[in-house]
Amino acid sequence: MKTKNKAMIVIFLAPAVFLYTMVFLYPTIRTVIMSFFKVEGVTDAVSTWKFNGMGNFKTLFNTPLFVSALQNIGLIWLVGGIGVMLVSLLFGVILTSGVHGKSFFRSVIYLPNVISAVAMGTMWINYVYNPDFGLINSTLKGLGFKNAAAQWTGPELVFWSMLIAYCFGMVGYHMLIWMSGIERIPTDFYEAATIEGANVFQRFSKITLPLLKGVCRTNIVLWTVSTMAFFVWSQLFSPVNLSASTVTPMSYMYELVFGASSSAITVRDSGAGAAIGVILTMVVIVVFMFTQLIVRHDDVEL
Amino acid sequence: MAKNKIRQKMNWKKELALAPGYLVVGIWVVFTFVLIGWIILASFSTTREIFDGNLFKFATGLHPENYVKAWKTHKVSSYFMNSLLYTLVSCTLVIIVSAPAAYVLSRFKFRGNGFLQNLFATALGIPAIMIIMPLFSLFSQMHVNQSRGLLIFLYIAINVPFTIFFLNTFFHNLSVTFEEAAAIDGCSPMKTFWMIMLPLAQPGIITVTIFNFITIWNEYFISLIFANTAKTRPVAVGLYSMIQSMRYTGDWGGMFAAVVIVFLPTFILYIFLSEKIIASVTGGAIKG
Amino acid sequence: MKKKLFSLMAIVLTCAMVLGGCGGAAQSAAPAPAASGAASKSDAKSDVTITYYSMWNETEPQGQTIAQAVDAFKEKTGITVDVNWQGRDIRKTLQPALDAGQDIDLFDEDVERVNGTWGKYLLNVEDLAAKSYDTTNGKPLTDVINKKLVDLARSLGPDGKLSTIPYQPSTFLVMYNKDIFKTAGITAVPKTWEEWLAACAKIKAAGKTPITVDDAYMASLFGYHMARLIGKDKTLAMVTNKKIDDPAVLTFGEQWKEMYDKGYISKNAAGNIYPAGQQEVASGNVAMYLNGTWLPNEIKNSAPADFNWGSFAYPAVGKGGDGPEANQYGAQCFGINKNTKHAEEAFKFIVFMTTGEWDNKLAADSIGVPMANDATWPKQLTDAKAVLDATTTRYPWAVGMENEADINAKIKTNFALLVSGKLDAKGFADAMKK
Repeated sequence: MKTKNKAMIVIFLAPAVFLYTMVFLYPTIRTVIMSFFKVEGVTDAVSTWKFNGMGNFKTLFNTPLFVSALQNIGLIWLVGGIGVMLVSLLFGVILTSGVHGKSFFRSVIYLPNVISAVAMGTMWINYVYNPDFGLINSTLKGLGFKNAAAQWTGPELVFWSMLIAYCFGMVGYHMLIWMSGIERIPTDFYEAATIEGANVFQRFSKITLPLLKGVCRTNIVLWTVSTMAFFVWSQLFSPVNLSASTVTPMSYMYELVFGASSSAITVRDSGAGAAIGVILTMVVIVVFMFTQLIVRHDDVEL
Repeated sequence: MAKNKIRQKMNWKKELALAPGYLVVGIWVVFTFVLIGWIILASFSTTREIFDGNLFKFATGLHPENYVKAWKTHKVSSYFMNSLLYTLVSCTLVIIVSAPAAYVLSRFKFRGNGFLQNLFATALGIPAIMIIMPLFSLFSQMHVNQSRGLLIFLYIAINVPFTIFFLNTFFHNLSVTFEEAAAIDGCSPMKTFWMIMLPLAQPGIITVTIFNFITIWNEYFISLIFANTAKTRPVAVGLYSMIQSMRYTGDWGGMFAAVVIVFLPTFILYIFLSEKIIASVTGGAIKG
Repeated sequence: MKKKLFSLMAIVLTCAMVLGGCGGAAQSAAPAPAASGAASKSDAKSDVTITYYSMWNETEPQGQTIAQAVDAFKEKTGITVDVNWQGRDIRKTLQPALDAGQDIDLFDEDVERVNGTWGKYLLNVEDLAAKSYDTTNGKPLTDVINKKLVDLARSLGPDGKLSTIPYQPSTFLVMYNKDIFKTAGITAVPKTWEEWLAACAKIKAAGKTPITVDDAYMASLFGYHMARLIGKDKTLAMVTNKKIDDPAVLTFGEQWKEMYDKGYISKNAAGNIYPAGQQEVASGNVAMYLNGTWLPNEIKNSAPADFNWGSFAYPAVGKGGDGPEANQYGAQCFGINKNTKHAEEAFKFIVFMTTGEWDNKLAADSIGVPMANDATWPKQLTDAKAVLDATTTRYPWAVGMENEADINAKIKTNFALLVSGKLDAKGFADAMKK
């Protein structure tokens, strides 16, 4: 438009751009650079950095704990993702199919997402998974399945216990996104299909699913972003020091940058920590571009 | 989304067809109630009872003093005040920074508009760990670490991208006739924004503010790094530090009382505003 | 109207931020010198403020006692101690703060950690410790407090110089429930592995579980047992070489598989997340726990008030290994920042806490051990005193098994599988070798 608006544009945009540069751009660039150097303390002056090329990355991939962390995060992303997407989609479909009390159900299902993860996690560990008196084992014993009562926080199951606890809280959030997508589909489509004789499943697969592609992409991206940040749950299930079954890249990075809590000798390696950050961001970018490719933006434009 | 609450007679055949749906959702809801109910019961209990699993027997009666203890000795009140300060101030300033920017981006065509919009969108995908280390180092050198002002600054900066994103979509949907009318009346574009467009955007602003409120209230990682002294801690980190300290004092009843105190505001806010919250979550997400 | 309200709100909140936030920024970086202070009291008092980063949480017994001591100290000397209660997170937060040059005068933590990790920030206190103070009856400080620990602090210090003053000593050994032992008919504590197994059998026959563990202490258990099999040096060598491949690891696997098969270890041990292990002891279901002398204090809220505590050194196991004369002992300790401007005042506070009235009070409030040589240990820990006095070899924490995050994680995973029946001895040894 006109040039006298230029001043306004600049003034209005300046604070936001400044904040972005200072808080996102500068740190990201610096972290990327740091990942190629050997840096011990995160506050060390740049002059103490020693160039290390790909050394940090090589060390990381040779560390069993980090490899476990990658495996864990991969499983969380894939298995957890599929589980959460399916369950939340199911709930979304159920709640938009005309049940009574839709608002109530929707609110209750979203509620765990609103409660602090620290609170939820503690409750899961001390109540649901408690081997003697926990919810799961008591219910199993009550129903007569005494042998099924297991050590949910034992070495083989603790990862899955953690995953289930995490996914429980995430279902509500993704369900809301599905629902908004479903509700944007004009009901005429469904009416026309019903007139033509389509049953529930055909309506779902031929109308609902294809038109949800854009929403699907959004859900995948959001899920990826929140999964990469998996930290609090990892800390809750392994409070004192890291465990191969619950470690995630972010909790490993926290230990690297700030020092392990229990050993008397605190080994810090901020360069490696930066490298982890770079790896995780790359994953997010890759997933984002991948979803751009396979899910075209052709949902309903209202 | 129109709320068509047309009162139809109960169509039993229809309900029956939906029964499996009710069942599935119903089980989930019951489970949620059980979990949250347990937390509340535990908060009135003692450590022994929690670990012995005798929560429901209440052998020693209810213990409301857990709440008093949590509030006073665990300094929950100070965590609360901190979180309140952080959320209120940050939410307000986020709007002051983001609304003008979103408006300009949605209304005016200029070089770099698309670029800037994508720039802000990518911020959503940058995980916190990429940015904390250099920031920690920078702020250490500036000697402002562990201060409230710093945390507020960070909360604002981190929530600006999403808010711009959301409000951008919102402004997009507002009709241009308002600005045209204002221009005819001789109103300058800046004034138009502050006096007309901003008030019009109120629903969107309220929605995104509620969402920001919840995000900042439950925020953990950034405050863990940048504001972890007893004076500056907000509730999520405070809760974690209470759990840690309770590990060494063994006061689990008090810890759960603290947990309930911490999640109550979000819960109450949520009950009253759940429609708006849900609208904000979905409104911003669709255009992603 | 709405716009006015909106801008008013914005202004009010911005003011709130300026007042609340910037105040915070200024004060936490550099504490305001002597804001309060002893202007009202007598003239000989100082008006210095020192900043103390504490490893304690304000709500712990130690934290509460120290808070009281700080008030008493101010009354006595006028020196204000500005305490920053970090809790155990101090392990992560102190170093960045010191690196960034924040004004910290005094800090405390485990003696190995303060000297090993933060040694380069420590002030040499040999001279200050050689002086006498009003609570030391004319003798140098180092003469009135526990000599074994002072020697330890000196040996761990940078260049072998005393740079920290220990307090809250502790020993790592088997803590047990004397009542259960009595009911089971055990008359003497086990000194060898055979006696240990016999005692476990009796406890099991009496309907209780002999021992438990949780994820925080599995590495210590492994380290201790290995050192009892092959000796401290060989055990530490495994850590340095990052290879847990000594043939005795197989023996460890066999012995603990036996413990599992006979039901001597709690069936929850594999899945216990800290502090679930010690809660089992508190509930009276488990008889023994390889833990530290801090245990009575940590579970005093959930254990019955008349819990009858006893302790003994971990038994000797193999011929090539150490016996009950080798144990881990240590302490927390106070360290003074090399860059402090108030060394004398900070040291005065250290003396205040490690001698006389407040030394006793701290020990009493936290079921801990006082520093003064002639002090009495709490009755729950009298057995531990005998063990400490008889200790001639000192193990480092967890016999080094927690120094490498990978080794620690490996132990946790495989030991848990071993004591839940999922791995046999050979499987365990093979998994540890990887």
